[in-house]
This record gives sequence, C-alpha cells and structure tokens, in this order.
Amino acid sequence: MKDRARVGWVAACIALLVPMCGFAPDPVEKIGADLIVTAAPVYEPLAELRGGERFPKGAQLLLIHDGKAEPLVTGFAATADADVYFNGKQVLFAGKKTENDPWQIWELTLKDHSVRKVITTATDAVRPLYLPGARMVWAQRTAHGFELQSADDGHLLNYIMLNPTGGPGITPLTYLHTSAFPVNVLEDGRILFESGYPLGSGTTPELYLVYADGSGVESYRCDHGQARWGGAQVASGDVVFTQGHSLARFTSPLAHEEKITTPRGEFAGAITETSDGEWLVSARTAATSPYEIRLWKPGTATMQTIVSEPGKNLLEPVVVARRTVPRRHPSGLHPWDYANVLALDARLSRDGALKGTPERVRLEAQDAKGHAVAMGTAPVEKDGSFFVQVPGDRPIRFALLDAKGVVLRQQKGWLWIRGGEQRICVGCHTGPERSSENRVPAVLLRTTTPVDLTHAVQAGASQPMTSGGH
Amino acid sequence: MMRQTQVRLRAGIAGGLLSTAAVLFGVALWTGGPARAVMTGRTGEVLTYASPEELVLSTDGAKLFVLCQQSDEVRVLNAATYAEEKKIPVGHLPRGFSLSVDGARLFVTNTWDDTISVIDTKALSVVATWPVGAEPSSVVEDRAGKHLFVANRISSDVAVLNAQTGQEEKRLSAGRGASYITPSPDGSRLYVTHVYPNPTAFRTAPESEVTVIDAARAVVVDRIALRSIAGVFHVAVSADGRLAAVAELHPKNLVPLAHLEHGGAFEDTLTLFGADVGPKPVEVPLDELERYAARPFGVTITPDKSRMYVTSGGSQMLTVIDVPRLLRYAHLHPQPFVYDLSASANYVITRVAVGRDPRGVLLSHDGRTLLVANRLDDTISVIDTRSNKVASTVTLSGPKQISVLRHGEQTFYSAAQSFQGQIGCANCHIDSTFDGLNWDLEPDGFGRGIVDNRLLEDVKGTDPYKWNGGNPNLPTECGPRTERYFWRAENYDDLTLADLVTYIRSMPPRPNRWKLPGYELTAAEERGKEIFERKVDKFGNPIPEKNRCVYCHSGLKGTSQKSFDVGTKKPTDDSGLLDTPQLTNIALTAPYLHDGSAATLEEIWTIYNSEDKHGRTNDLTKDELNDLIEYLRTR
Repeated sequence: MKDRARVGWVAACIALLVPMCGFAPDPVEKIGADLIVTAAPVYEPLAELRGGERFPKGAQLLLIHDGKAEPLVTGFAATADADVYFNGKQVLFAGKKTENDPWQIWELTLKDHSVRKVITTATDAVRPLYLPGARMVWAQRTAHGFELQSADDGHLLNYIMLNPTGGPGITPLTYLHTSAFPVNVLEDGRILFESGYPLGSGTTPELYLVYADGSGVESYRCDHGQARWGGAQVASGDVVFTQGHSLARFTSPLAHEEKITTPRGEFAGAITETSDGEWLVSARTAATSPYEIRLWKPGTATMQTIVSEPGKNLLEPVVVARRTVPRRHPSGLHPWDYANVLALDARLSRDGALKGTPERVRLEAQDAKGHAVAMGTAPVEKDGSFFVQVPGDRPIRFALLDAKGVVLRQQKGWLWIRGGEQRICVGCHTGPERSSENRVPAVLLRTTTPVDLTHAVQAGASQPMTSGGH
Repeated sequence: MMRQTQVRLRAGIAGGLLSTAAVLFGVALWTGGPARAVMTGRTGEVLTYASPEELVLSTDGAKLFVLCQQSDEVRVLNAATYAEEKKIPVGHLPRGFSLSVDGARLFVTNTWDDTISVIDTKALSVVATWPVGAEPSSVVEDRAGKHLFVANRISSDVAVLNAQTGQEEKRLSAGRGASYITPSPDGSRLYVTHVYPNPTAFRTAPESEVTVIDAARAVVVDRIALRSIAGVFHVAVSADGRLAAVAELHPKNLVPLAHLEHGGAFEDTLTLFGADVGPKPVEVPLDELERYAARPFGVTITPDKSRMYVTSGGSQMLTVIDVPRLLRYAHLHPQPFVYDLSASANYVITRVAVGRDPRGVLLSHDGRTLLVANRLDDTISVIDTRSNKVASTVTLSGPKQISVLRHGEQTFYSAAQSFQGQIGCANCHIDSTFDGLNWDLEPDGFGRGIVDNRLLEDVKGTDPYKWNGGNPNLPTECGPRTERYFWRAENYDDLTLADLVTYIRSMPPRPNRWKLPGYELTAAEERGKEIFERKVDKFGNPIPEKNRCVYCHSGLKGTSQKSFDVGTKKPTDDSGLLDTPQLTNIALTAPYLHDGSAATLEEIWTIYNSEDKHGRTNDLTKDELNDLIEYLRTR
C-alpha cells in the first residue's frame, strides 16, 4: 500500500508538473470564464432587417463550461441571443418553447438553471439586452417590423410582462416603419442599434444610437454606405462591428470607421472582449464552412479556434462574468405629445454647400400606414436657424426650400423625436464630429415660440411614401 | 448534437491539472483570509492637504519647489529622488510662484492675504512679505531684475513692483480676473491671461484676451483677442519664441443646453499664436467626439518644439500633442475648425491618465521628464516623455485619509460624472466661484429663462436655489436637477452627493477687499448704507416696506431667502418672481440681475428700474447712487 501510495503521489506530482512545463492552457480556460454561444445550422444575419428569420432552421444556446459544450437550457425548441446580467448571475435570452411559438424573452438564473418568462406577447420578441436601472431593451415584432422596446426587467417586482406592446411600463424606443434591433448598451448608457440606412427607408445595415428613453436618435457616424452591423463596445471605448464580412471600429477621435486588420476570414455579428483584452469572434475561413468561435488578440496574425461544431454556425459569444454597469440615462422628457426642434444652422452639412439660400423648412411625417403627410413649413432665418414644433413619436423628415419652394436639400430617410424632447441640431446632417458655434440663433432672438408643425396641412394630403427621399 | 461538438482542448487534461495546481498553490499561500484592498478611511475631520498647484525647478535643477495651496506652503523636494526636504510656510491660499532671474529668490503670490512671500532659495526661508493688490495670482520678474509683475485677479490688472523693495510703481489693465503670467523665453514680453470673460453686450459671445506686456518698458503693447473664450489659464511659449499656446475654455452658453453630446456645453481648446502660426491666432480643439479634455489648465512645449503637453483638470489626464503636425494641420485647414471634434486626431499623440485635478506641468531641464501636479490627491505624476507613460507617482506627505470635504472637493472638480466626461461643477464655477456668463438652460424652453451664473462662496444658508427659487436645498440642486439637466447622465451615489454638498456649504467667502480693516465704513459707504436702509425717499414720502432695499436683502448675507417681482421680467421670462440673491462679494460677480442683463451694478437701477420696483432709486442723484453702490461693495 505504501508503494502504491508513493507511486500515486509521484504520478500526481508529474501530472501536476507536466502542464506547468510547456503545455499551453486550453484557450477556453485561458478566458477564465464560461461562455455562451448560439449554435444554428443556418445563419442569415441580416434577414430580420428585411422581415425574414436569422435562424430559419432553429438555434440553440450552448454553455461552454470546463471545456465542454452543453445546452444552456432544456425544454425549448429554439434559444438564442444571450445577454449576461451585470453581476454575471442571470442570462436574458430569446426562446421558443415549441416550433410554432413566437420568440419570447426569458431569463435564466445560472446558479440553479431556473428559467422564467419575462414577457409574453403574440409576436416575436428577440435580442434582449439588460439596461442599467433594472430595465431591459429588446426588439419586438410589430406590423411595421421590429421596434426597440424597453421595460423594467422584472428583477425587482418579479412579475411577468404581459402584452408588452400595450402593457404598462413598456416604452417603445424606435418610431419607424422599418425594423431596428438592439446590439449593445454603451458605457455612456446609450443603446447601439442596427437598422437600415437611410434610417426608416433604406436597406444597407447601419449602426445608430438612442438614449434609453428613445430620445436623441442619431447615426453613430455619418460616413454611410458600408454595411455595418453587430457592434459591441470594448474596454477602450471603441465600438467594434462587422462591416460586410470584416471587422471595423469606431473610435472616439475619428469621424469615420477604421478598418481592423485581422487574420483571413469572414466575421459575423458582435465580438466579445475577454478580461485579458482578447476578442472572441464568430468567424469562418470560407463562405461554405460554418462559423466558429475564435479567440484573437488584436494586432496579432493568428486566431485560435476555441469552439467549433460541424454543420453548425457558432455565433454571438458571450462571457459569463461580472461586468461594468453602463451609466443610467436620466430622462429629461417633458410630459408633451409634441417635440421642439431647433436647428442652429441648417445650411451646414457634410453633403456640401447648398445651391441656394434656404428660406423655409418643410416637415413631413408618416401616418399610421407609412404614408408621407405634409405638416407645413416654417421660416429659415438668415443665419440658417429655425425653430419648429413637431409631432412626437412619429417618423418625420425635413426639407430645405428656396424662396420659390424648390427643394434645396431633402433629408435622407426619417427620424423621430420623442414626445417631450427638445432637440438641437447643429446643421442638417453635419455628423457627430461637428459641435455648435456659441451664438444665439437668430430665430430665438426673434421668437421663443416654435412654429407649430404638429398637424397635417390639409386632410387627404397623404401620398405614398417614397423610398430614400433624396 | 453534443457528440458532434468538438471543443478543442489542445491540452485539456493538462489544463485541468494546471488549474488544480493553481488552486492548491493558492490555498497554500492563503493563510489569513482574503486579501484586503488598502483603503483610505473617510473622515469628517477638517484635514489639511498639500494640494500641489504649481511646480518650479531651481536654476541648477537640484531642487523641485512645489506650491501647496491648501497647506499654505512651498515644499522643497530633491529633484532627483523627490524626497521632501523642507516645508516653507507662506501666506494663505498661494496660487502662483516663480524664480527670480538669478534664481536666488522665489516669489509666491498669496491670494487671500494679498501678499507676496519672498523666499531665499539658499536659506529656504521667507525673507520678506510684501503687500500687493487684490488676490495676487501670478508673479514674474523681468529679465533685468528691475520689476516684478503681479497679476491681480480681483482688480483685473497687473501691478508693477520694484523687484527689490516690493514697492508698487504702477498698474497695467489686463483682462477680467487676471491670473497667469508667462514670460517669453527672452523675457521681453509677458503674456497675461484671465479667468473671467471681459464684458460684452448681453447675449453675445464672451471674449477674452492675452494681454501682452513689454517687460522692459512695463507697458501693454498688445491685446490678443480670444473670441468666444471664457476661462483662460496658462500660456506656454516655445524656446524660440515663435509659438505660444493658451489653455482655455470655449463655452456654449448662448446655445440652449439641451444635451451634452457634440460639445454641447463646453469645448476645451488651445489658442495658438506667434510667428509659426501667422498673423492671426488659431483656435484648436483638444476634445474628441466622445471624450473631452475637460478644463485645460497647464501647458508646456518641449525645447525642440516637437511636443506639447496640456493638463485637463476635469478629465484627470494629460494630452500629448505633436507640434509639427499641429502646425501643419492649422496651416492646411481653413478657420474655424475648432468646431470639428475629429480635428484633434490629426495632432494628439496620446492621452495619459494622471491624478485628480492635474494643474501645473513642468519639464525637466533635459526634457526627458514631465512632472504634473495633481492638486486633489497630493501627488506628482512623473512622466517619461519618451514613452509618454507615468514612470512613477510621488506622494506628498500629509493626511492619508480622505475627509468628507476632500471627497466633496474632488467631486466638484471632476468631470467624470457628466455624459462622456464633458463638464464638472468647476467648469462654470471656476475655482469654486462663478464664470461671468449667462446660460440658456433647457427646461424653461429654448431661448427662455436666461440665467446668470451665481457665486457659490458663502452659499450655505441662502436656500432656496435657482433664480426662480425652485430648488429647496443643495441636495436637490446638485442631485436630481444636475443629473437631468446638466450631467445628462447617472449622478452621484448618495454618499458622494452628501460630500459634495458638504464641500459647497463649507466654501467661505473670500475676504471682501472693499471693507476697511476694522470694518468701519467710509463716509460714502455710510451714506450708501443710509440709502440702503431708508424708509422715506428724498421727497419725504414713505417707501413701502417691501420696496426698501433692506427688506428683501436682509440678514447677514443680504437675502431674505424669498422671491419677489422687482420689475426685471423680460419677454423671455415666464415669471417676474425671482429669488433674492445674496450680496456676498457682489462687487466681483458682474453681470447682474437674474439674466445677467445688467453689465454693472449701476445699470441695475439706471436701466432696469424705471418703475422703482427694485427699490426706490429714481429719486437718487448719480452721486447718491454711487454711494449706495459703494456700500453694497462692502457686503
């Protein structure tokens, strides 16, 4: 027995020493935390923007624990879109109990794997994200496509949201006749979402920002034209996203995207940063092979595949760990159903100089059917400023007119202003890099009452919406 | 499906054993429970911290002098080891210091004593204390050793003293709140900046200046206009004298403050001037699209003019600039590009995190080391200029605990709480005072409810707050109101808010320079006091009680803490009912009235009191009105 014990002891010591003498640790272990990924036989990442299904042949969330993959939850026909709570103990996800159910939002407690339904609705609810202040945001299918909705996440009250689109405490955050999907909550509390460009009418995926009360919608950057989607903010503050099949980023100093040089491959969706500053990406070598989860240290020439599965795309990697809580946005919305818009100098634009002097600004809004409705015009001052009252929570767009009523510039796409929001625009599509000049706009020296453009000019003036609106 | 899953464990078993070994190793080391972070206690005591504000090297480079604002000292450190060698007591709240040309004397301005301490740099002791003007903030000796130039913040001028006796010979008019003087490398020119904007017409952009003094003749030879700037701090001049950079604030007070993104409240900028720049100064942004260099203060340029360093007090960081690229960008791009937040990407090399409220910067004589005085954590960041990294952090001796007041002050001077770190309390309350601006806040409506920014000193016991008296107390003012309408981001936790409020309540008023030493009044002030307290007008008619000055402006601080309509309502106001402001140090706080429409105290009554609702004053002669104002200045 003594000899056997001695042999066993030596064997144990050798077993312990071997990995310390040159064997690299498993990359999954290197991450130092469990992972959750979505596995799907077919992945059409942008299909939902066009009203389709990202996972037409289903999807399943996998938990990668101790180097092994297993279903995160059981008893579901499909699961996807995991988001780990800030304390690392709960997971929001979209799931279907049966094939014929709509996607709904559920929450899993990792400690005991108990699952509760967070919302119940007749239509699909997907891509949930936790917000600070005990709230959540998700994409809810409506008659016009998916819209961002927000609500208390139920942690405090532990109740199930019934019929969220009509229920109490539900705040729609997007007001478009097109789809929008949340992709990340930034450190500053704003929600990064993807939708088509031009917003409200276009089909090229683009990344936008909105505060957690639906106010302040804008493009993240205005170098449009690239297919951008699936963004996530990393510790440096950069937002890393998929551009086409490559990775690119927005950085604080630059007004345009910056390409990221990566090892060869096609990328899909959001990346996740590990505590070591490495990135977990969903990538594949060729269009015919499935996506794998790879670990990459930015700037290096190689990636390590850490999870793969033949015939399955592995997507949306999420680290199961505590993370920094984003800043809560304190809503300053007034209790109005209208909004005020002050343009400081409508002549300013990234699109170049106007070919004439703007005399008036015209507002159009979309009616419930998505038809453009003329809401009237307001004067533009000599310094390019105008001040108007617009309907809140409706798609609107502006056009600048010369003295003869000829359109000098038409807003590309649509935007909305929340009811009770007071919004300032530096110009018309000046981009987030442009700050305001410190002067009182001429319109405010003339009047502090905005021109009321909250009502349609005349009954029956509806006309079919024209796409793009250039 | 799981059988098909291939989780690639290149060293799976080994990895597991490694983990086991690591756990065993950890258990072996863990002898006394979990490791505890070293924490400083939070104390309610009033502790005296060093609060380093400025740095100067001795001529031979052996000694580092550190101006310690709160402990009223100059500390002497070994410049090689940073060991503290001596503490030299000076006057109260020193703000600026500089060496004499021969390096034998160190001059220190004591802002609350209105004195200059003269330190013998060999004996390391104060050898003279000279009385000077009101709130002396910076001092420079001319190259000939003939004159000392002292910037006086309150009197907004530069006093010219005999450098040997301290006797004042004359004053030169400078910008409002004159505070910082920088000599050109050859000493022929002095560049003077000021922290409050010069007077401009109501609701027009603020203006500031760099006052240029011919040091030999002791005369002002130029005033370089800084358009739209309010809050100007240090100037740096390159060794060849061809480039100067001014650290400054570019407020957006005339635009409704509806949101912070895109530089909505402030930009942080430099103005460049000099032969390298061309005939006109150029303003360049320091900020980025989502990150701000809040409250630029100290600036310096390397001798080879390759780099420029700027401290940002609110952002706790140092910005490193490539000077050739900066100049190239400035030449290639038409003005103004200060509104392009992406411009800085063309010349900013990096941002270096330093301590709380970084102020003065100092390059070592060989240019290899940059020192930053971190005022609110009593440290000096030692930065390797080749790597642009903090090589070490020197901690000055003093309390290790963070007191409530200290924590409150740290919070006050930080921009971290606001959306994207753009602004902090100290943006509008410069050095805990005011900014001389009127602002268009969003809740009242765009262009409506324009409000003058009020002085914070002695604010305790003057509640309610806001000009409409809408905030009952400071926790409301600094808490939910500030969160929603200023920071536009999640506000302080309760403890931090309590500490901030405690700090604000603790702010004492600066000494009133219009008061005589024994607080007796001059004859004119006595006459003014009688007018202030009178019950009948000059025609013998009784003045209704509510129309007497002393009725609303009652009590020690000159406020009844109630609201009245004194006939100053403007078309842009919703109500004429306004909170009665305190009179503490009112002489300093122009412009006046709730919206800042009165440029002077006189204008309150000569322009804005035609109906005698703001006190009965239309029976007064100009001399009598002057008497009243003389008295008010003593409050």
